[in-house]
Amino acid sequence: MLVLGIETSTPQTSVALGSETGVVAASLLATGPASHELVVSEVARALDRAGMPRSALTAVSVGLGPGLFTGMRVGVAAAKAMAQGLGVPIVGFASLDLIAFSVRYCRRLICVAVDGKRKELFFAFYRPVPGGVTRTTEFEAAGPGRLVAELIARLEDILLVGNGTLVYRRELEEAGKHVEIASAAFGFPSATTLVELAIPRLQREDFDRLYDLRPNYVRKSDAEIAWDSRRRAD
Amino acid sequence: MRILGIETSCDETALAVVDDGRAVLANLISSQAHLHERFGGVVPEVASRAHLENLNPLLDLALRESGTTLKDIDAIAVTVGPGLVGALLVGITAAKALAFALGLPLIGVHHLEGHIYANVLAHGAIEPPFVAFLVSGGHTMLVHAPEPFRYRILGQTLDDAAGEAFDKVARFLGLGFPGGPELDRLAMMGDPDAIRFPRAVTQRGYDFSLSGLKTAVVRHVTAERGRGREPALEDVAASFQEAVVEVQVDKTLAAARDTGVATIVLGGGVVANTRLRALMSTRAEQAGIRLFTPPPELCTDNGAMIACAGFYRLSRGDRTALDVGASPGLPLG
Ligand SMILES: [Zn+2]
Repeated sequence: MLVLGIETSTPQTSVALGSETGVVAASLLATGPASHELVVSEVARALDRAGMPRSALTAVSVGLGPGLFTGMRVGVAAAKAMAQGLGVPIVGFASLDLIAFSVRYCRRLICVAVDGKRKELFFAFYRPVPGGVTRTTEFEAAGPGRLVAELIARLEDILLVGNGTLVYRRELEEAGKHVEIASAAFGFPSATTLVELAIPRLQREDFDRLYDLRPNYVRKSDAEIAWDSRRRAD
Repeated sequence: MRILGIETSCDETALAVVDDGRAVLANLISSQAHLHERFGGVVPEVASRAHLENLNPLLDLALRESGTTLKDIDAIAVTVGPGLVGALLVGITAAKALAFALGLPLIGVHHLEGHIYANVLAHGAIEPPFVAFLVSGGHTMLVHAPEPFRYRILGQTLDDAAGEAFDKVARFLGLGFPGGPELDRLAMMGDPDAIRFPRAVTQRGYDFSLSGLKTAVVRHVTAERGRGREPALEDVAASFQEAVVEVQVDKTLAAARDTGVATIVLGGGVVANTRLRALMSTRAEQAGIRLFTPPPELCTDNGAMIACAGFYRLSRGDRTALDVGASPGLPLG
């Protein structure tokens, strides 16, 4: 098994190649807002470095966000076309789940919050369980004030993680002493985690349907939001 | 050589399989008009989302319809600009991933060069020099092509693209979206000489402007209603269309005369307009100029024209790297 992982839902673009025995090549780019445009050439480079032909790829995994709309679309478009072109299965994972999984060894409630631009964060809560994490809420898009209220309402120790904490650190620190903000090193979803999580799903043939796989937008487009509010006002 | 053409620069997800830049084996277009209708125009985020959902099923359909498998494809051509950046990116990324997965050459195509090559699909290779008039919802442009793959822009719109102006006037007259075809249909029943709207021919050079004409239409209808009369909308539509088309035809023929070419090619969605086709053809014949016009189904955005332009670019050795991005403002030339 050789699994390709593609994660582009934050300003950090990463790709990874791995199997049951671990990651064989990975790369990370954060070259400004358009790093996701380099994702396909980065896959080519990773295969080269691993000394593998593209025909060795047996599956594609992809991060579905929530996150930056254009980035998510580029990652999902690349992964879907790659899977279709290679004729291999595809599996998708929520990008917030990837971040939560990377801090699963903490014994606290986990809150993952990534920057959603437009003064909003995308966030969800997780609880560590044996072998991973389990998400306890839906994904939500809201301003930092709303997230602070959510953190205050939970009367237990919380690890707050995700690149949203880098953008809104000052506001989020208001939540109180029971909230610890994790290091920026855990702030972004990574393709290596993606590959690690994909392997058990691929082994039990729990594939996603190529046509149906789409990003977790969570938020409607601005035009649709404006349309809805106009209609409500009528 | 069998080329897969991908076009996602605006609101049509379009894929085609074309053999040797001529034989269209499949040309599929998933129009998003119904998604954008309620907004009265194309919403970039809505378009980008729809492209991503349409692309993979459309690829399978195009392959099936053309009796082709991915193994039979020899190259991937894709629109790299100009257009909506988010919309372009979906097609470009898919094209890059397919080219990589299949080990095929990738060729990026300028959207407007695609519109020119729609004529090659329909009529076979067209030898420069020629003048191209490209007119759609996003563009109004006069181009001089002195030699193959070389373009010099003679003039373009200073405000609205013609298709955009058609849409806006159609909306003002209470017609449906997209407005161009609706206005064309209504105009057929009206008198083009009923109202003398201003011609912008007095403008210098080959640039176009439609904002004055648009205002004149609004002013006319409002004034009529102010006098308690409901204007005959078919006459308004016909007279407006006549004013737009007359200037377009005058300037295109002047461009051909001034550059000394004997060939004019048309391209873009507005070329489906029946009055533009008719007047351009009459006037070109009078001037002894050869006119190439794509059939209506190849005037609107499609993947076949991209595959065709890609074929000719590949044939002369052009290749595009896998790190190519979207160029929303890509210049022609
Ligand atoms: Zn076009």
